[in-house]
Amino acid sequence: MHIREPAIAMSNHAVDDQLRQILPRLRRFAHWLTKGAGGADDLVQSTLERALSRWTTRRDDEALRAWLFSILYRLFLDKRRRSRRYAAALERLQSGDQPAHPSVEREVVAQSALEALQRLLPEQRSLLLWVSVEGLSYQEIADILEVPMGTVMSRLSRARAALRSLCEGETATPNIRLLK
Amino acid sequence: MNTTPSEYEIHAYVDGRLDESRRKAVEFYLARNPERAEQVRAWQRDAQQLRAQLSGLDLPDNPALDPGYIRARRHGQLRVRWAAAAVVLLTLSIGGVGGWEARGLGQSAIEPPMADALQAHRMFAPDKGSRLDVVYRRNSDMQAWLDSHFERAPRLPALDASGFLPVGARLLATAAGPAAMVFYEDRQGDTISFYVRPPSAAGVLHRGHRQEGNLVAEYGSENGYSYAVVSHADTRDQEIVRNALHTLT
Repeated sequence: MHIREPAIAMSNHAVDDQLRQILPRLRRFAHWLTKGAGGADDLVQSTLERALSRWTTRRDDEALRAWLFSILYRLFLDKRRRSRRYAAALERLQSGDQPAHPSVEREVVAQSALEALQRLLPEQRSLLLWVSVEGLSYQEIADILEVPMGTVMSRLSRARAALRSLCEGETATPNIRLLK
Repeated sequence: MNTTPSEYEIHAYVDGRLDESRRKAVEFYLARNPERAEQVRAWQRDAQQLRAQLSGLDLPDNPALDPGYIRARRHGQLRVRWAAAAVVLLTLSIGGVGGWEARGLGQSAIEPPMADALQAHRMFAPDKGSRLDVVYRRNSDMQAWLDSHFERAPRLPALDASGFLPVGARLLATAAGPAAMVFYEDRQGDTISFYVRPPSAAGVLHRGHRQEGNLVAEYGSENGYSYAVVSHADTRDQEIVRNALHTLT
């Protein structure tokens, strides 16, 4: 018989072990989310700090992995927003940080899917990593992004089409009609 | 009959998340729609390529990301607040002991250098059953912990060659600022501690040592910090401390 215990009853050691198991995936995700630039480990560290401080408020039925990805993603967006506000205040254009829209660079053919991935918008990058690499369920992703499932599906279509076009050097406009 | 798969089904097909009957239905549809089939196959290839390329990524170990370390650090930060209470106790104790010594030895009541180090050692050495904030058995972990609390923290003395290994550490708040005390033990259970804090109002300390009861403190200043190494006042332990400090500077 399996009795589900509240998350709070778990020993610190057991919690740490669970986190340790997910740590490499979390780091990998952070690494590609930040385009391999510095700061990925800082992001992971902040994520773990937040996770530990909020552990007791975590819903029992929530998958740990999706919960951690969601914390990390929010922290990433917060940080980005802050740095953008800062940049705006300085009236400086962040051309380097601005993710390239596929159609702008359509003449550049990415050497690999990985290279193409790094040119996508952060949300598209996250979507593809969550779905294709981390194997999160569509529902988990909908929860992380706080959008309905149907929205996840259409955004996933756009992300996949954008990745494809970058690989092929085509325009971003998908040549297929997606049916509702 | 509507056999056109939904957007959800197309993605679930790409990601291999459809049950048998729906998968067959999608395949049936794709067989009659070569353009869509070509796109779906390309999406599958992209996903495979991403998986293959990303699983090869080998990020170097980062001990600072270990949950145990982060928990201890977090705990340490919380403890700093509690340490504020400890400083009151510490100051009171020093005052008490200092006063008693001043009477006993006929010395002035001016506080001798690093009196707080000796006092902290007396109160918090682990063999007195006192609780430690963190427990680390490796010098590198201990150093990392110290580095996380103090900017340009001094290097810890290398005592391991003499059989003294770290057991744990404690944060304290003192009148001069935050302090840390790192404890080492050898197999016989002898304790040596390394104490570090910002310099007191008296300023930079010259290297020196001072015995107080059965304890002796070797102290000095380095990198903008004052430190003291406290050990038993026996010849062997004192020798070990002096050698370690010699390699330190």
